[in-house]
Amino acid sequence: MLIRLVLARLLWSVPILFGVSVVAFVLMRALPGDFAQAAAGTTEISAEALDTMRRQLGLDQPVWAQYLRWLTDALQGDLGRSFATKAPVLDELVPRLLVTAELSLIAGAMAMGIGVCGGLASARLRGRADWVVRVFNGLFLAIPNFVVATLIVLTAGLYFPSVGIFNYVPFAQDPLANLGSMVLPAFSLALAVSVTISENTRAAILEVASQDFVMVARAKGLRRGAILVHYLIRNALTPVITVIGLQLATLLGGSILIETIFTIPGMGQYLFDSISNRDYPVIQAIVLVTAAIVLFVNVLVDVAYARVDARVRYD
Amino acid sequence: MTALLPPGTTADAAMLQVRQLTARFTTRDEAVQAVRGVSFDIARGEAVGFVGESGCGKSVTARALMRLAPEGSSVEWGGSVLFQGHELLSLPEPAMQGLRGRRIAMVFQDPMTSLNPVLSVGRQIDDMIRRHAGVSAAEARRRTVDLLGLVGIRDPARRADDHPHQFSGGMRQRVLIAMAVSCQPDLLIADEPTTALDVTVQAQILRLLLRLRQDLGMALMLITHDFGVIAGMVDRVHVMFGGEIVEHGAVDEIFAAPRHPYTRALLDAVPRLTPGGAVQ
Amino acid sequence: MTELAPAEEAAAAAPAVPTRRRPRGAVLLGIGLVMLALMLAITLLGPVVAPHDATRTSPDSLAGPSAAHWLGTDSIGRDVLSRLIIGGRTTLFITFVAVALAVVCGLVLGLSSGYLGGWVDQVVMRALDIVFAFPVFLLAIAVVAALGPSVPNLVLTIAIVYTPTLARVVRGPVLSIKRWDHVEAARSVGVSEFAIATRHVLPLVLSPILVQTSLTLAQTIFTVTALSFLGIGPPPPNPNWGSMLSEARQFMELAPLTVIGPAVAITYATMTFIVLANGLREFLDVGHR
Repeated sequence: MLIRLVLARLLWSVPILFGVSVVAFVLMRALPGDFAQAAAGTTEISAEALDTMRRQLGLDQPVWAQYLRWLTDALQGDLGRSFATKAPVLDELVPRLLVTAELSLIAGAMAMGIGVCGGLASARLRGRADWVVRVFNGLFLAIPNFVVATLIVLTAGLYFPSVGIFNYVPFAQDPLANLGSMVLPAFSLALAVSVTISENTRAAILEVASQDFVMVARAKGLRRGAILVHYLIRNALTPVITVIGLQLATLLGGSILIETIFTIPGMGQYLFDSISNRDYPVIQAIVLVTAAIVLFVNVLVDVAYARVDARVRYD
Repeated sequence: MTALLPPGTTADAAMLQVRQLTARFTTRDEAVQAVRGVSFDIARGEAVGFVGESGCGKSVTARALMRLAPEGSSVEWGGSVLFQGHELLSLPEPAMQGLRGRRIAMVFQDPMTSLNPVLSVGRQIDDMIRRHAGVSAAEARRRTVDLLGLVGIRDPARRADDHPHQFSGGMRQRVLIAMAVSCQPDLLIADEPTTALDVTVQAQILRLLLRLRQDLGMALMLITHDFGVIAGMVDRVHVMFGGEIVEHGAVDEIFAAPRHPYTRALLDAVPRLTPGGAVQ
Repeated sequence: MTELAPAEEAAAAAPAVPTRRRPRGAVLLGIGLVMLALMLAITLLGPVVAPHDATRTSPDSLAGPSAAHWLGTDSIGRDVLSRLIIGGRTTLFITFVAVALAVVCGLVLGLSSGYLGGWVDQVVMRALDIVFAFPVFLLAIAVVAALGPSVPNLVLTIAIVYTPTLARVVRGPVLSIKRWDHVEAARSVGVSEFAIATRHVLPLVLSPILVQTSLTLAQTIFTVTALSFLGIGPPPPNPNWGSMLSEARQFMELAPLTVIGPAVAITYATMTFIVLANGLREFLDVGHR
């Protein structure tokens, strides 16, 4: 039953993925300017050399043939070669992707932590705590993540000049330092997302608290702490976790900005540099891979929700 | 976990004495007087029925005995609820928590929504036993399995690990009853225990309640809107309307000669078979 | 024994008489409208209100606040306050035009897709799903990179990126409203499908559209300022908030106001639309009960 659902959702994503690849392809090929020229990387090139380049890149073929060639290569793991470095895009992309993924995951975890605590406080304490949390939520939602990041850098520069901010260290080299260098960037990313989680948690807790089985738990004489954890939180958390999955797209998009501010060598920087260099294969690859990840995570989230939902709403 | 009420409390004829109980709900917009001065006694081991239609205040009265306000509401209780010598309306909350489930337990109306969906049924009963009796997990599970068997769940040891959605409505109600009697309360309150169930299952559940009451010697407070449910289950009946008790007495008397017009109306609402087999 | 907690509902034994109250959301809506009016007034009156020419440089760089320069100057001596005001014009202009475009396209797509149903609906929805698969910001960057950064391209990009959400928001109510009685009645009297769509269905879809538009405005402020922060926003010489923030990073410890100014401006604009959206949401829901 569950397998069928997983297969159905995956199947559903395939045409979308194709559509995504078409968009990624078209975006780049529809650019003004000469593709071969950009590949050459210089204007000082003879006409024949340019033609050779064109043939090499398959630009003399009809567009749909070019697309198919690109797509079949991509499915086999060959995302072309970077114009700038001539190296295979995949080799350059993966390590950067991992860095961005790490940043997004840490940010996601932070957002969960802050958001759930805020939402809990807001729902259970009511009164002043509720008011305070909701006001802060309004503020944090309105401050864009790159503004937060810039303000953090400013504050650090003004009041803690000795603390190094732009001190990214690869994970393999020194895990602790790496995590330390990720804290502030992840926090900038996490803040706005935590608001969404906070609001969702609050709503979920309020909804669960009004359910019959919570009243039954009180009638059993269970203590408030036990009720909070096993009855309220465990039931409220499932819708909240799916929300975080859906926020992944936002986190990925935001990390592009944050990486540039904190000089973290992730996919964002890579995208950015390749835009300046007009390194089209790279841009294409990044767009395709990112969309694929988002689609995949959405499928996971749907499946997870269906599984829990089936149990909760079996009757 | 020490007992909060002295064990072996004197076999006072009136285990529960309720005097002029009132309940007042206040929301942002209005205030509602749900219960307006209700008084009654329940003796040790006695079975008492409360009958009335929706909104008459019978459920609120029951909840007052356990001081359970609906989530997010502001309630003012008034009057006196004397249970085994203790005034429940002024008992500190921690003491009240120790009393709920242990001395007074409740079975609720809708079995489909009364169980926590993410925990196994065994776990939900274990937790209650461990909370009040302080025994080990293994011992609690042993008792849980016994209880599930007692209420008629087949293969109780295995079924204890199942989740609520794997049980039918009637089975869930049995689980809830098992949970309610797990700590051998002195008073069991059953609030419309059969209303949400199929007719065929209703009789089984009522018989189960009767049997448990006899085996465990509990007092029973049976709340319903249906006089048909009361018959054969309780010794005395209170009829409620508009937050007040309008008539009370022994079951036979009420059935034979209802005095209040409302009682008569309720009795008439129960379909009866005439000797010829026709439904009246 | 009294238990007190903020009340939400009562188990009423008797029917309750509702009391008169100011409609929910009116306060929020009021605040949002005031914020919006203030922002629009200042930016529309831009050149009149700004104390200095926003692009005029001076040797007095990175100065602190003074009588002449209320918020100080930036690294090449330009007045921060004036740049904020003028920058607001550019930013808000792009925002409003782009979102207006997105709303129109979203309405058209959503109405036609929801109303016609069938394969039209399926095709449109699949197409929108493709756009949804991209993180919004990534898509914006890719499109702007492809088309080149200019004001019209920016407007187009944002419209493309936000049309799907608006189309979806429109389509939902349309699907359910289609079957309502007065629509059936109108159809039976022979009113044309187009007239039905515009005169009967459209007004009922207005509330969710208003709320979503407000939210989209907030998101667009983010996108526009973020894109210009990265350097692919509207080209110079006109200032805009995002690029102001980015340029200020170089010397920000020396003149914090060059950062704080744009930061506050961006936050204020975003918050205006969020407050409006929340106010509208509560206010309109009540009206529809």
